[in-house]
Amino acid sequence: MRDVCRAAVDAAVGAGASYADARAVVRRSQGVTTKNGRVENVSDLESEGIGVRVLVDGAWGFSCDRRLDESGARNAALRACAFARAAGGRGEKALAPLAAASGTYRTPMEKDPFAVSLGDKVALCLRAEEGLRHADVKVTEAFVRALREHKFLFTSDGAEIEQELVETGAGIDALAVSDGGFQIRSYPSAHSGSSSQAGWEYVEGLGLEREAPRVGEQAAALLRADVCPSGVMTVVIDAEQMELQVHESVGHPIELDRVYGSEASYAGTSFLKSTDLGSLRYGSDKMNITADSTTPGGLGTFAFDDEGVPARREPIVVEGVLRNFLTSRETAERLGAGAGGSMRADGWNRMPLIRMTNLHLDPGEGSFEDLLADVDEGIYLETNKSWSIDDKRLNFQFGTQIAWEIKNGKLGRMLRDATYTGITPEFWGSLDAVAGPEAWHMQGLTNCGKGQPGQGAHVSHGASPARFRNVQVGVKA
Amino acid sequence: MSTDVREVAGLALDAAKGDDALAIVLGENSGLARFASSEVHQPTLIENCSVVLQVVRDGKIGTASTNRIDSESLATLAQRAGEASDAAVAEEGFPGLAPPQQLPEVDGWDDELAELGPEEQARRARAAIDASSIELFGFFTSGATELAIASSTGVDAYQAMTDATTLAVAANDRESGYASGTSWRGNGVDPAAVGREASEKAQRTRNATTIEPAPYRAVLEPYAFADLITYFSFDAFGANGLLEGRSYLAGRLDEKIVDEKVSIADDGLDPRGLPKGFDFEGVPKQRVQLIENGVAKGVVWDRTSAARAGDGHESTGHAPPPVYRQYGPLAFGISVAGGEVDTVEELCELVGDGIYVTRLHYLGIVDPREGVITGMTRDGTFRIRDGKIAEPLVNLRFTVSVPQMLQDVPGLSRATTLVNTSDFYGDRYPTAALVPAIATARFNITGVGSEPGL
Repeated sequence: MRDVCRAAVDAAVGAGASYADARAVVRRSQGVTTKNGRVENVSDLESEGIGVRVLVDGAWGFSCDRRLDESGARNAALRACAFARAAGGRGEKALAPLAAASGTYRTPMEKDPFAVSLGDKVALCLRAEEGLRHADVKVTEAFVRALREHKFLFTSDGAEIEQELVETGAGIDALAVSDGGFQIRSYPSAHSGSSSQAGWEYVEGLGLEREAPRVGEQAAALLRADVCPSGVMTVVIDAEQMELQVHESVGHPIELDRVYGSEASYAGTSFLKSTDLGSLRYGSDKMNITADSTTPGGLGTFAFDDEGVPARREPIVVEGVLRNFLTSRETAERLGAGAGGSMRADGWNRMPLIRMTNLHLDPGEGSFEDLLADVDEGIYLETNKSWSIDDKRLNFQFGTQIAWEIKNGKLGRMLRDATYTGITPEFWGSLDAVAGPEAWHMQGLTNCGKGQPGQGAHVSHGASPARFRNVQVGVKA
Repeated sequence: MSTDVREVAGLALDAAKGDDALAIVLGENSGLARFASSEVHQPTLIENCSVVLQVVRDGKIGTASTNRIDSESLATLAQRAGEASDAAVAEEGFPGLAPPQQLPEVDGWDDELAELGPEEQARRARAAIDASSIELFGFFTSGATELAIASSTGVDAYQAMTDATTLAVAANDRESGYASGTSWRGNGVDPAAVGREASEKAQRTRNATTIEPAPYRAVLEPYAFADLITYFSFDAFGANGLLEGRSYLAGRLDEKIVDEKVSIADDGLDPRGLPKGFDFEGVPKQRVQLIENGVAKGVVWDRTSAARAGDGHESTGHAPPPVYRQYGPLAFGISVAGGEVDTVEELCELVGDGIYVTRLHYLGIVDPREGVITGMTRDGTFRIRDGKIAEPLVNLRFTVSVPQMLQDVPGLSRATTLVNTSDFYGDRYPTAALVPAIATARFNITGVGSEPGL
């Protein structure tokens, strides 16, 4: 891989590139899905190639080749240079300084998920599904996944980095249907379960079979639950939904490429301005957000990003005030702050973009019960069902799979079809408590989209349950 | 394209000799000149050839893929697919691989478009940029895709497709406007016209005002309507949604569910769309009437869902790629019939008092069974007063039941517009929806957002 990447960078520099990087990537994934006791998918997929990014006369260019040999590398490099020249730049682009680094990294794990047979993966899914069965549950579904990405980065700045990242994940869903009613419950998370950068031990630790009966029973019970009321009220949000709240209303707005307009045509921009750094009040003083590409088990964990910038942990929001953006080398130089470290590409045939790594809501104090204890009347919201947020990441609306009435500090009756909506800084300003470290946990999601052509990213978020005052609950069609 | 995808499909099938097998080969050669602040900032060239092999042993199905196409790699691919099938469990009633069938001849390939290189792709991006009087954000892309499917049952299907799209958001701090165009023909997309349309729209959005959340009468441009109907289709128009009871059509087939002016089909054969002759099982595509004059008529099927229904249904040619088999057949060629209204201005007259929506953003399905979708308007939202487009509005949050929105339709435009719906994730397999502009008596606004602009 090293020689192939070096050939690409040499070819690009020889063709006039002032900067070039080459990533050789070999990706293999396995997936199993079972549904209603039938095996819907058993797949073993692989893809490999080299992606070359160049800077020529102040213009970026990117090209790729599926052939992992010197011929493919040179072809990709020369085509990238040709596209950069055709694109034309507005003058030289500066990159934040970076010490040349070399290194290797491998995901620490106990059990290689690719050493677990596909047959065992199928059997686990079928057993987990068994537990979901209920008279009102019409569809049961279970899935497991494993991914291994072996990649080598070589840059004209002198970086030589080899990394092997391994992910595993799993989940179960129960869909209950009655006359006119439709409800879903999921575990450990909605929308394709949860994943971690870890071995098969992560899937074993999820306890799908243990949780399945509760998931099935709750899906069925939701058919008969009362509709969540509408109004402005206190809400307590579970850790999983908080993780998506962090993702959508903090993670995306702090991507500096969005702030500078690079994503305006697709994912959108940001309500934040570069001048907000250090002064903008994002939320209450209970709000502390940290970006950490070193979190053990995080899907955004690595030793170096796809520009060769070392992993780091940095505060983003401290006691409610914006302290950092997620940056690339180019945007960090433009801002005059930060050093990059968030550039990630989806495989070999996409250009690196600023992406979240692992972004966490830091824990506060006390237990989940303590959060409830201070609520006379309110709603507890659990597990995401639907999500939407505007192009500046201000106006959001989320739905959750299940909700519970809170009365006099205790959970009461189950409620269905709960939604809540808000405006990002106002919402975070209404945060008045975050539960402590004992209630903090992390989920990994694999469906974050951005870029044109589209790229998926795998990111993790940790959070504890949190309490917000004066939130609009219950939006009707 | 340098790789012969039919030959590769044959070689992959040979590698699986002795098994029932289906080989799918997708070749891509594309360029996307993405721009922001009127500068091409992320130009991307992609060449790839993906081989998917599905092996069936005793009714057990396994899938493997690779993009290494030498004989040794294809032999390994066959071995991995075989191991995957051994791990599966046989499904009672599995219909087996499709038999060979006569495939329809479809359009969808343009030599000139297939030949576009990076210089021309960048030039067309600049043509859009130069046509805008304010900064432009978006892309020009063109690509050539070849799909070959071969099976041990004798399927031998091949189609070459081209597609091009220009997408543009013209914006500054206080204005933003949107336009896009897509076609399989090289001359079917005029980047300058797209840039100009976005720019002109943006200039009308300064000094946006707000409105109270409430149900409004509305006109939706094709961009907005295509997005909404595509999201609705995920649950509503596929056989799995119907069989599992999450489709709005479940229990409502042959009932009048929306205004009689509304007719919706899935039509992969229509040369005005991005034509497809067959699905990922090699089954010929059929035009499927989903809603006819307001009456729910049917959904799209693949061989597996048809067999599971067990009531005489047959595949309509809508099987997804094997790795997405669990999602079942999907309607990727939505076509909404045009109406009898000549212009969007006349649609505004029919609305009288309401709102005008250019484009939507970040849709979320709130309730699939009732077709409830939420999202935001973006890049050109206006008030309609006295039947005319009036002052600009801030971005609005809507939460609508799509069937409810379609139950009272004052009119649809005669002209239909092809709107790209693929976003170019993964391997290039371009999809689009052909839709008119629509006037509705009910578009439920549930919140207000930010002003137009960056």
